[in-house]
Amino acid sequence: METSRDDFVIALRSAFLKKGTQQRFSLLSLIFFSIILLILGSFNFKAINYVKVAIKEIVYRSSFIVSGPENFLKNNYLIASNHFKLYEENKKIITELNYLRGKDLSQKINILENIKYKKLIDDYFIGENETFAKVLIDKQSPFLRSIIINKGSKNNIKLGMVVLDEGYLIGKIVEVNFFTSRVLLISDINSKIPVSLQPGDTQAIMSGKDKQEGVLQYVRDKNLPEINEEIQVLTSGAGGLFKSGIPIGTIVVDDEIFANNKEDKIVDFHRDFSQLKYVKVVSFSKEKNILDLLSKDDAETLNKEITETNQQQETLRILLEQKKIADEIRIKIQKENNFLRNERIRLKKESEFLRDKSVRLKNEILIIKKNKIENDEIEFLKMNLFYGHKCRKNMINNLYKVGTPEYRKCVLKKGLKK
Amino acid sequence: MNKIYQNNILRNIQKYIPIILLFISVLNEFDFNDFGLIYFSFNFSYILIFYYSLKKSESLGYIYIFIAGLINDIVVGIPIGISSLMYLILCGAAAYLRNITLRPSLIKDSIFFLITILIINSLLFMFLNFVFDYELNYFDQIINISYTFFLYFLFAKLFDFLEKNILGNRHAG
Repeated sequence: METSRDDFVIALRSAFLKKGTQQRFSLLSLIFFSIILLILGSFNFKAINYVKVAIKEIVYRSSFIVSGPENFLKNNYLIASNHFKLYEENKKIITELNYLRGKDLSQKINILENIKYKKLIDDYFIGENETFAKVLIDKQSPFLRSIIINKGSKNNIKLGMVVLDEGYLIGKIVEVNFFTSRVLLISDINSKIPVSLQPGDTQAIMSGKDKQEGVLQYVRDKNLPEINEEIQVLTSGAGGLFKSGIPIGTIVVDDEIFANNKEDKIVDFHRDFSQLKYVKVVSFSKEKNILDLLSKDDAETLNKEITETNQQQETLRILLEQKKIADEIRIKIQKENNFLRNERIRLKKESEFLRDKSVRLKNEILIIKKNKIENDEIEFLKMNLFYGHKCRKNMINNLYKVGTPEYRKCVLKKGLKK
Repeated sequence: MNKIYQNNILRNIQKYIPIILLFISVLNEFDFNDFGLIYFSFNFSYILIFYYSLKKSESLGYIYIFIAGLINDIVVGIPIGISSLMYLILCGAAAYLRNITLRPSLIKDSIFFLITILIINSLLFMFLNFVFDYELNYFDQIINISYTFFLYFLFAKLFDFLEKNILGNRHAG
């Protein structure tokens, strides 16, 4: 027993205290060093912070370079897969485009009215300090889902700024270095966003759950609208960090959720966080709205714009109607045209057939005529052999000269008969 | 002369292959987002550190492992020093196993590796959750540990092959 414990201690001591041939530090000393680093880091020790920032700047750039080959392969893979999907996507996009074109103006009116009412209740945020950044590292570990962007405090990036991808919320800035910043994605479990569910205007808190999903917390089932359609999840603006109305994702409400009374309401994000390339970092501030002549002018301009857009929409509607009618007429004419073309082709064929027939008949008649003449001639020659001497003129008679019509008539009548 | 010089360079590159792999793995953090594999993640650095600390301890210096840990913390975004600590504990465990082993076997190594990564991830979870207030997903952790364990067999065979046939180290494995 004693020997076994000694062996354990010796093995442990050898593992943690013995230095290898080229080792300058023992394992134990480095473990202590790590612990000290952790403790000092947790107390925000200044020297450690400076070291951290310096290492971060170097590591982020190096990581970007090291990820180069992988990114190259990834991009090529994406290009190839997109190429295969191109045709189907094109068809889908054309259909969607036609549908959305009609909706575009209605949406513009809604936006303008929304701005007008938000200004009235003094809740209109305007984007300021917009910066576009490139994603340097988008490795999402099982511990933290975050990305690194290539803009830092040098570009006026500040903690808590909102990060958008094509207008959709993807996260917020949680760490700012001089040249780089870290964005905590909304898919991270530590991210808590005040959200609003539309329609129904239900308030909730959304936390990250999975790579492409979030989960709603503190929301009661009875508050969810009982409709079988997608529920849009938008930022509510509560807390003042985010502007209200930034789209995040959707919840598909089906009967199953209501039937099973599920606790978790899963949010399907609009954006794919593994495909981020360029993002927009923006901070919002409330527009200073003083009720003076200027704001009155603003309101009038806005009203004017709404009226103009309404008119434009009406014009567009009429034009669309006209186009519809013109399309119908065009289709009708096209049908008629096709029918006439077919008829023309048919008649042409028929006339060609008749022409051929008439030519054939004419030829046949000619042959018959020719045959008849030849037959007459043969008959005459035959008769001429038998009766020619009876009609021919000579020294002793006064008959007909050979070759004359009278001679021919005489021969055919088998000799002269007066 | 030139040939000897070239041979030296090649030998040096061969010698540093494990370190290069370690640094690439922590800087790159391989993931499988592009292939749409949602429930697939493993810790390549754990496998590499454990294997080389066990089989060929002179290949990976403790200092390099410590620095790799710092880089990993920065890339992943967790408090600095925590991965270094975990990597060094893993090294310690591998060194202990090396000292007590008379007849090496892959099964025994892998079971010891599983116990070690379970302890390491528990420590990591405790540190992050209780000390630094990070929320972690149990499910992701379990998947990560499971895949790391199962892939240890594959990578151990792969590293054996690399050492024996490509780097020409007859004593590896």
